[in-house]
Amino acid sequence: MADPIITLDGVSKTFGQTQAVVDVSFEVMPGRCVGWLGPNGSGKTTLIRCMLGLARTTTGTITVRGHPIPGDVRQALTRVGAIVEEPRFYPYLSGKANLEVAARFVGGDAGSRIDWALGRVDLTDRSGSKVKEYSLGMRQRLGVARSLLNDPELLILDEPSNGLDPAGIVEFREMIRSFVEHDGRTVFISSHLLDEVQKMADDIAIVQSGKLVLHGSVEQLVAGGRQSMRLRVDDPVRAEETLYRLGLVTSIEQGLHGSLELTGERIDDAKAILITRSLVEAGVGVIEIARESESLEQRFLEITSGMPLDSADEETS
Amino acid sequence: MIGATLRTITGRKGSFIGGAIFVLVTVLIVIVANIVIHELRPGRNPSMGGQSMLNGAMSAIFLFGVVVAILIGSLAGSYDVAQGTMRYLVITGARRGQIYAARVVAVAVAVLLMLAVPIALGALTAVVLPHTAADGITSGELVDYLWTSVLYAVVFGLISMGIGSLMRSNGPAIAISLVFSIGFTPLLLLLYSFSDSLGDMTLISSLDRITGGSDGLPVPAAAVSVVVWVAAFLGIGALRVQRDEY
Repeated sequence: MADPIITLDGVSKTFGQTQAVVDVSFEVMPGRCVGWLGPNGSGKTTLIRCMLGLARTTTGTITVRGHPIPGDVRQALTRVGAIVEEPRFYPYLSGKANLEVAARFVGGDAGSRIDWALGRVDLTDRSGSKVKEYSLGMRQRLGVARSLLNDPELLILDEPSNGLDPAGIVEFREMIRSFVEHDGRTVFISSHLLDEVQKMADDIAIVQSGKLVLHGSVEQLVAGGRQSMRLRVDDPVRAEETLYRLGLVTSIEQGLHGSLELTGERIDDAKAILITRSLVEAGVGVIEIARESESLEQRFLEITSGMPLDSADEETS
Repeated sequence: MIGATLRTITGRKGSFIGGAIFVLVTVLIVIVANIVIHELRPGRNPSMGGQSMLNGAMSAIFLFGVVVAILIGSLAGSYDVAQGTMRYLVITGARRGQIYAARVVAVAVAVLLMLAVPIALGALTAVVLPHTAADGITSGELVDYLWTSVLYAVVFGLISMGIGSLMRSNGPAIAISLVFSIGFTPLLLLLYSFSDSLGDMTLISSLDRITGGSDGLPVPAAAVSVVVWVAAFLGIGALRVQRDEY
């Protein structure tokens, strides 16, 4: 098994009396896209700044690409690209000139990747224009181009979809997935666009008030949420009695025309089969059946609004 | 890295290009004024070029070149933090010390570039335009002109860079650098009221001594004094850059 590309062990960061990050430990495996989620002010950007050596941790250790941060930050960041908070540039220089400046600081053969990076984010045609003439979306793409100059194994992108229009968001998602699937890069991405993260990320980490409250794969996270079944039956009263006897659902709501909405934890395939079989055996005619999972957004809101979590869900990695 | 930093400094039209044009225009005004005065009263002002032209050009460059150098230096110190580009320089993996050192060299080069055309124009017109033998310029005087014009501007540019590096926004960086350089350093000459030794170690006295002044510390000691002044401000700025969180 490959070594983690990012390891955080008991990381805390305090600003005066404020604890921005509290005892965060987790690992990011190479070749994965990890969504880093949390409400505003939850410590997402602070932790990213610590991971990039821009800020010091108060306690705990961070290792990136096997090198400790900040002790060996130069080696650690050799092949790490990043956008932090928002991409910033010299507005009076062109997009290409900004990348040329960055490439000189990166060193090595970064200069030879400028045209390729601009092409990768579809900015070749506008690369000669001054950055002050760029839209926010173009600056975001230029930020990604800059982060590609050192051929990064790891991309750390803080809210990179900000300012993108719907078409740009889809394009951006496809670009991120291609970094992971075709290039084999690892992407660590913070975003508040939960639907996008659900489509983009393999793994999710949720932070709240500086604490890591959940970390696992997107499938695990969504599966761990409440799930519901919608049924339409010919005898709702008998169906409700049967389902309560089974004890598999936490609530049943009757709708129009014999429809029932069942809610429960983890209504998996086995439970769904058991429910329908029990109804049929009780003499209830099942006309329609559909199963629905909570979206990542619903799950996120449930977690970050302080609703109790099943302890088995926590730290599923 | 130095070339890239120089590009970011010289690309700022307001401070660099505008500043360079401003200094050039003041030297042009001095040249035109000398020519006009000569033409109006050739008996009283027999030389068009020569010493009077050289002194006039040096005064203009000394006064306005230093102001523009302060602007260039202070902005070079504060701009990356104020603009948010500093964090992107740090995450390239470049050492903060290297980033800062490149900036120091780039500021010195930028100030020299800014002064190059006005200094050359002043020297050229002083030598080429007609002047009396008494107004003739020796090679030593020409070297003094170059040295004085450059040294004051570079020193105040670097000190302003150190001050700018302590600031997180450009306005205060420029304001404090101007107040320190133009307001505070001359005030330090009041130290002569207490002690000649203290007065001799002030920045202005030391600079004056190594640009041909006759009083004060021995020239090597004055040079060391200037280096210490510059190093102190650059050192404080370097410490800030090394420790700051971006």
